[in-house]
Amino acid sequence: MELVIDNKKKKLKFSGTLGELLRKLGVMREEVVLRVNGKIAPETYKIKTKDKIEIIKVVFGG
Amino acid sequence: MICVNGNSTDKRIADKCSCGNAAVIFLHYTNRALCEKHFIEMFDRRVGRIVREFSMLKKGDRVVVGVSGGKDSCVLLHSLVELNMPVELIAVTIDEGIKGYREKTLKTAKKECEKLGIEHKIYSFKDAAGKTMDQIIKEKKEIPCSYCGVIRRYMLNKAAKDLGANKLAIGHNLDDIGQTLLMNIMRNEPLRIGRGSVDNNEFVKRIRPLMKTPEKEVAIYAMLKKIELDRKDCPYAHFAFRSHVRKLLNETEEKYPGTKFKVANSYFEMEKTIGKNCTGKIEKCNECGQPCSENICMFCKMKNDLLV
Repeated sequence: MELVIDNKKKKLKFSGTLGELLRKLGVMREEVVLRVNGKIAPETYKIKTKDKIEIIKVVFGG
Repeated sequence: MICVNGNSTDKRIADKCSCGNAAVIFLHYTNRALCEKHFIEMFDRRVGRIVREFSMLKKGDRVVVGVSGGKDSCVLLHSLVELNMPVELIAVTIDEGIKGYREKTLKTAKKECEKLGIEHKIYSFKDAAGKTMDQIIKEKKEIPCSYCGVIRRYMLNKAAKDLGANKLAIGHNLDDIGQTLLMNIMRNEPLRIGRGSVDNNEFVKRIRPLMKTPEKEVAIYAMLKKIELDRKDCPYAHFAFRSHVRKLLNETEEKYPGTKFKVANSYFEMEKTIGKNCTGKIEKCNECGQPCSENICMFCKMKNDLLV
């Protein structure tokens, strides 16, 4: 799968849900929105090998 | 409430709405997955219910909507339009003068107002207080958020009065309410909780239609409605105690879903109880004539201090 986080791309092998991926990366689910192949998806989505995952930070201070 | 693939109640595979379409969100506090259509319906219905439950709007109201151009205020504007109530909406943006931060959100505010056909007014710190926020930071060593908060609140209330509005709508979401309660308790300033519920003609009545909507849901709604998201922290946000409290509340919500609703409900209860006991007399500021608790309002004190 391809992962885009903080506008940086990386290739990653991961088996599990988006929620499990966030936990592995230490990202708080309350602060991000996830996109899979360009579409918004819940943390419960099971990642597939060719998916393009985007982790978009949406909670900012201000 | 369970809304998952087939009949399974396993959260790990709850990536479909009960209608069978792919979900855009899983609501951990109700164990429910929703597709785009059902999420937007739920979102709009909830805002409408809160507006009715708290009698926030009535026919003929003239409402100033504080629109910074961030996701919360833009979604608030969309939601109020979506309600289709017989009220008049005017958007007001306060430009604090923070270089590299506010310019983009100002553009977004303008764009969203144009899209929705809402009249839009912009007021600047520079005109009201004589200095931009960037200039204030350079000169003052104190925490900038206290200056920014006081000046912004003052300017919004004054703008609403000058524009003849009887309501001032702000984009505070569920997370903001929870953070405010925790901050007031941690600072031992519980009386501040009741201030918003005190009715006084000098203050334009503030309403918070998004107060029971989690921030993450506001963001998803904004993305689905193609509202441009601000992707930047305020450069001075690291000074804010709020950032620390936000992290604490988000961590707790992840472990114990539904915590934010419980904290916010405590806030509303306390607001009612404490508000009844807030009987302090409202004076008129000797300098600007705006309402305050002493002879000179906090805004004028700060302005005088900045002009020295």
